[in-house]
Amino acid sequence: MEPLLKVENLVKRYAAGRSRASGHKFAALDGVSLSIAPQTTLALMGESGSGKSTLALCIACLERPTSGSISFEGIDVAALEETQLRVMRPQIQLVFQDPASSLNPRWSALDLVREPLFVQRRFRQPEREHKALELLDRVALPRKLAGRRADELSGGQKQRVAIARALALEPKLMLLDEALSALDCSVQAQISNLLVDLQSSLGLTYLFITHDFAMAAHLADQIAVMERGRIVESGPAEKILCAPSHDATRALLASTPRFTETPSVLVNA
Amino acid sequence: MRYLLRRTLHAVFLLFGVSLLTFLFSALTPGNYFDEMRLNPQIAPETVAALRAQYQLDRPLPVRYLHWLNAVAHGELGFSFAYNGPVGPLLWVRARNTLLLTMAATLIAWLLALPLGIWSAARFGRTLDRVLSWTTATLLVVPDLVLALGLLIVAVRTGWFPTGGMVSVGFEGLSSLQKFQDLAMHMVLPVFALALAALPTLVRHVRASVAEVLDAPFLRAARSHGIPDRKLLFGYALRAAANPLISLFGFSLGALLSGSLLVEVVMSWPGLGPLLLEAILARDLYVVIGGVLLSMIFLVGGNLFADVLLYWADPRIRIAASAK
Amino acid sequence: MKQGGKFTKWLVFLVFLHVVVAGAGFFAPYDPVEQDRERPYLPPMRVHWVDAQGHFHLRPFFYPLRLREGSFDQYEEGTDAAVPVHFFTSGARYHLLGNLPSRLHLFGGAGARIYLLGSDAYGRDQLSRILFGGQVSLLAGLLGAGVTLLLGALIGLAAGYYGGWRDDLLMRAAELFLALPWLYLLFALRAFLPLSVGPLEAFLLVVVVIGMVGWARPARLVRGVVLTVKERDFVRAARGFGASDIYLLRRHILPETASVLLTQAAILVPQFVVAEMTLSFLGLGVPEPMSSWGNLLATLQQYSVLVSYWWMYLPALAIVPFFLGYLGLASALQERFGAYKIDEKSGWSRT
Repeated sequence: MEPLLKVENLVKRYAAGRSRASGHKFAALDGVSLSIAPQTTLALMGESGSGKSTLALCIACLERPTSGSISFEGIDVAALEETQLRVMRPQIQLVFQDPASSLNPRWSALDLVREPLFVQRRFRQPEREHKALELLDRVALPRKLAGRRADELSGGQKQRVAIARALALEPKLMLLDEALSALDCSVQAQISNLLVDLQSSLGLTYLFITHDFAMAAHLADQIAVMERGRIVESGPAEKILCAPSHDATRALLASTPRFTETPSVLVNA
Repeated sequence: MRYLLRRTLHAVFLLFGVSLLTFLFSALTPGNYFDEMRLNPQIAPETVAALRAQYQLDRPLPVRYLHWLNAVAHGELGFSFAYNGPVGPLLWVRARNTLLLTMAATLIAWLLALPLGIWSAARFGRTLDRVLSWTTATLLVVPDLVLALGLLIVAVRTGWFPTGGMVSVGFEGLSSLQKFQDLAMHMVLPVFALALAALPTLVRHVRASVAEVLDAPFLRAARSHGIPDRKLLFGYALRAAANPLISLFGFSLGALLSGSLLVEVVMSWPGLGPLLLEAILARDLYVVIGGVLLSMIFLVGGNLFADVLLYWADPRIRIAASAK
Repeated sequence: MKQGGKFTKWLVFLVFLHVVVAGAGFFAPYDPVEQDRERPYLPPMRVHWVDAQGHFHLRPFFYPLRLREGSFDQYEEGTDAAVPVHFFTSGARYHLLGNLPSRLHLFGGAGARIYLLGSDAYGRDQLSRILFGGQVSLLAGLLGAGVTLLLGALIGLAAGYYGGWRDDLLMRAAELFLALPWLYLLFALRAFLPLSVGPLEAFLLVVVVIGMVGWARPARLVRGVVLTVKERDFVRAARGFGASDIYLLRRHILPETASVLLTQAAILVPQFVVAEMTLSFLGLGVPEPMSSWGNLLATLQQYSVLVSYWWMYLPALAIVPFFLGYLGLASALQERFGAYKIDEKSGWSRT
């Protein structure tokens, strides 16, 4: 089956300090390649600074890579002009880690979810509101909170709004950049279950960035581990979890608190 | 050293910018000037024609600017139509008077602001501190113009100080000491007006800077070592506060020049201010350009002086500059 | 909320002051251009409740002023003919807010003119001139502040959002404008524009000139806000839906600048009123017969006026309550929005 997303040799360099030609450039991504099959979940893991967020931003076309290609359904989105990109954007949506900053605190939940529909000029005004309320229902946000300002909602509620907003344009690929890390444990469990439900009901594909192996075990079909801008290990989730072959993976696994030995027991708990 | 070079370059850039701006403004309405001049019966038509040719007003803008720059570089600042003579000598005399006034006012303002600000920062909440805040707050809401005029009226009605001019009639015949006294008496009003106008903001900033330093951890550590308060204040706190205060001096020069312009006109002090105003009303183009440029040189010079002072006073700047 | 209290207090105070000036026609007893050549330079009249015989009257009254025998400029009260004050009387015609014609005045004298703040060389009532002059000066200040904030916001948005060489160029220009003395800039701008124009053109000219001088500080402040906001995730997210630059600027970034712009407005308006006053005082602003606080003070440049007619100074004090109100409002706003620290670069300009 054709992968939905295929990243090949992606490089992203930032100029550190003064931007001069001879300046010391820092490679956040140093030749990353991966692919994701449709309707599956790839968990991208690694320490802070390994380049995970940069990769997500590039795939979401919010940063331009220095070189390499990002093929989405066969089209290289990294090479597209902004006007062409606008058409593609609805298909790839990014959910940020901190909903307090990814949602404009002054806007209401309803306006926030409506915004992508407005920007992409879908539907008309009354239908947009209807659609937005439907989306809020889907993420199990009580309707009475729809009119509340974002800064009046709890962390879990905010992240639900962020997910609803990301769903508004009916994307095929959802990038979740540590989307659950800022939430309480119980809320994490609720939202991760929500994500699983959405995946099966809407046929979504996820790129799930996390540093939490338990979460990866729960959600992922495939796992890729990054270190210093490169993918150092990738493969089916169970294989990586039970038999890691790279030091970085082992270090990450070792740092995750466990209560039993096998991941499957963690999932059931 | 590189720091100073950079600041000098910056100063030169500023001067260029100003000269360009002034020249641009004047060039935007060339017609007006010489049309009005032609209508002016005091100026012969041949002079107008000659001047047009000399200043090459029919040439494109960049050429004119370069030509003018060249003339300035040779010390030739142009021709005054109102005074019927070269601009240069006219300006120097007035500039000297302005310099005298502004330097005296700056000195007095800082001599007052420093102790007041430091003292008020060192002890919050005492009654006199309240009085001080009230006085500065009042001064703050009274604009320079209102203040200057008010002082003038008070002076006129009490007759304590001469109200206008720089020296009395018959100045030449006085002895040196009397000359000094006469000058000083004439200076009191304008200097006081300028200093008072500047005082509130100055005191506020001094107070804020010193208060910030007094709160710093390094000072608290020093106090815990048993170093007496006075030594703390003068030996440590002030030196740390020197940087923002010297920068403040540099940045205050702009407002000082504006203030002196106004005060000179109101109090009839024969400085650049009244000359500039006259020149504008009389459409005396080159006096205006020359006067503005000269004032900018003071501004830039003062800023450079502050930069040098900063370099000397704050070792961090020396270190940072040499590290580059 | 305690913070809100301060803000409301100052706002109410300012609104009251503005209402008085806007309703100058009503609050002023006379038409500002109405002359009375027989009564030049009258000092302010004193209000009385007790007459020369010692009787108390509920209705306040004035005694008209007469030149003392054998004196040029000494006045005394003519205690024989009292002029009672009538409230809500009919007087000279005026147009409220330029549109509604009316003849109603707050107070007036029955039979003779009441000079509450004295008269000028042509016998015009100073109080009326101050009130009407306030309309011109305040309007100039408000409009000038509007121009500056508009200019500053546009430049700040462009510099902060697009960055690069545009940002460098614009910020260097801002540095230049900030370093230069404001009065010199004002002079320079005004000098090279036509000098003898009609009052309306002069007024507009003054507004434009004042407005073009002060854009640098608002521009820098707005740019600062834009720089922080444009990196916020919610802006990125909007870009992720395909939002255009204009949309982002308009719906997400601009609202964040509101607090900065409001505070700047409160600080700039009184400064610009002072700028108009200074220009008009020096003869470069609004010309006669239109009165503004500035040109009302212009007579003080004559020594004789300075010595003998102290009440001609009073227009200068009119701005003080406004300054107080605006600065109070500004500090209340700064508290509410979280004060940005004292900018050392503000030096002596009252920011």
